Amino acid sequence: MLKDRFDILLGGLLLACAALIVGLLLGGGSQASQRDLAVDKALEQEIAYQAKVSFLERLYAPVSELRTAGQNEAALLKLDELSRRYPDEAHGELLRGEILLQLQAIPEATAHLARAVRMNGDYVDQHSPLSRRDLFEQLLGEQLTVIKSRAKKNPSATALQAALKDLYYLQGRLAGGCE
Amino acid sequence: MRLALRDPHTWLVILAGGLLGLSGVWLMVLGNPQNSGICVSCFLENSAGALGLHDNARMQYLRPELIGFVLGSTLAAALFREFSSRGGSAPLPRLLSGVFLIVGCSVFIGCPIKLFLRLAAGDLTTLTGLAGLAGGVWLGLKGLAVGVHLGSPVKQRGGSGFWTPLLFLVLLVFLLARPGFVIFSERGSAAEAAPVLIALLVGLILGAIAQRTRFCITGSLRDLFIMGTRAQLFWGFLAFVLIAFAASWATGNFKPGFYGQPGAHLDLLWSFLGMLLVGSVSVLIGGCPFRQLIKAGEGDADAGLVVVGMLVGAGLVQSWQIAGTAAGVSVYGKVAVVAGLAFFLLNLLLFRERSAS
Repeated sequence: MLKDRFDILLGGLLLACAALIVGLLLGGGSQASQRDLAVDKALEQEIAYQAKVSFLERLYAPVSELRTAGQNEAALLKLDELSRRYPDEAHGELLRGEILLQLQAIPEATAHLARAVRMNGDYVDQHSPLSRRDLFEQLLGEQLTVIKSRAKKNPSATALQAALKDLYYLQGRLAGGCE
Repeated sequence: MRLALRDPHTWLVILAGGLLGLSGVWLMVLGNPQNSGICVSCFLENSAGALGLHDNARMQYLRPELIGFVLGSTLAAALFREFSSRGGSAPLPRLLSGVFLIVGCSVFIGCPIKLFLRLAAGDLTTLTGLAGLAGGVWLGLKGLAVGVHLGSPVKQRGGSGFWTPLLFLVLLVFLLARPGFVIFSERGSAAEAAPVLIALLVGLILGAIAQRTRFCITGSLRDLFIMGTRAQLFWGFLAFVLIAFAASWATGNFKPGFYGQPGAHLDLLWSFLGMLLVGSVSVLIGGCPFRQLIKAGEGDADAGLVVVGMLVGAGLVQSWQIAGTAAGVSVYGKVAVVAGLAFFLLNLLLFRERSAS
């Protein structure tokens, strides 16, 4: 391969480049200035995510307070007010679903809960601080068979058919998979 | 002619298929996402995210299995003196084929390997995908039969076949050293993973045995259509499906049904069309996404370009919301699949050798 002096020169330069890369990676990585410049994207993502979680907690704190006080209707009104400012925020959908579930409006609650999960998959994620897996598992355990049989008896009831579809969607998301 | 049962290669192909089926379920049991023990397209989407090619924070992880497939193939090819730099036929159409392979897979939610892993776990929504894949392979074969071909790769000087293995060697360094610019999801499906060293080792073994046997899902279907049951690859494919089914059943992961299946949707028409795209394009470029990784590992620069295209496609399907989700397929996904089918048909027209009459 190395047949003349030019080849040997290229080979030597290549070795020098390889040594330089190894040297830079091993030596440079430990220098304080390099550490300052390094971009830890995972850390940045985590900080942004934690900030989002804190923001949601603060934003929806009045709703949570009203729910704790047992004023579910007032909490729904507060959610209406907030949804005008943040129309595509999944957390509002989730809270609305939770309240409607408490009020036993099952098809409506299911629609909002499924919409929340479509907008933000963290609600079915075990590792997320926003996780509501237990709630979904309970909902499916209690309502899937009931809604399925009601939908079968009333094939023209579009709300029931939609609720069944949403429950299947939640069931699929809880089952996991790659998405 | 009958299946050559006395030929050791037949048994090696069957072993390759069996190992793939077993590994697909075992890696899931060890931590990979449900029904996604092995999925080339999902893993490419994860890896593209890890490299910053998309910003879906739930899909970012440098999957060791992919690295293993390519480097295992390289090692086997080197060991058996089969590594050879080759390529040079229709580079850009191959690159775009890689992009559209991932479009089809992502709309279906899974590559052909995952299709059968999902089916083996009882996911009946895959049946239309299976019909689409078989239809696509048939369509591709029809194209080949009337004289369509992208050209055969020729031996190349300049060692162009080294670049894909080198790229994956760099990815291996990234996986082990974890520099700050590579992202590893803390939540979502990309956070579900088998232990790194086990995943890497399984990838290396599968890559090596797939290089020796030329195992390929769409290739198996193609050979079945051409040669019937005497095709060796078909028996490997059958071993893959049967072992995956047995392993799913033995591990309690066999849950037959249409509804509530993991990583599946009920847009059945689009599952069909997505896999139709994958099957047809795979025949045109000589192998499914898994086979392209293996060929790239043994020095095929054309397959290397497909792999680069698949990596680009993996970034795009997430960034442009093309990928299907449990909620269904977006309008962008549908448009991308139709564009992919148009791309395939256009290639049939442009690459057809017509005899002068």
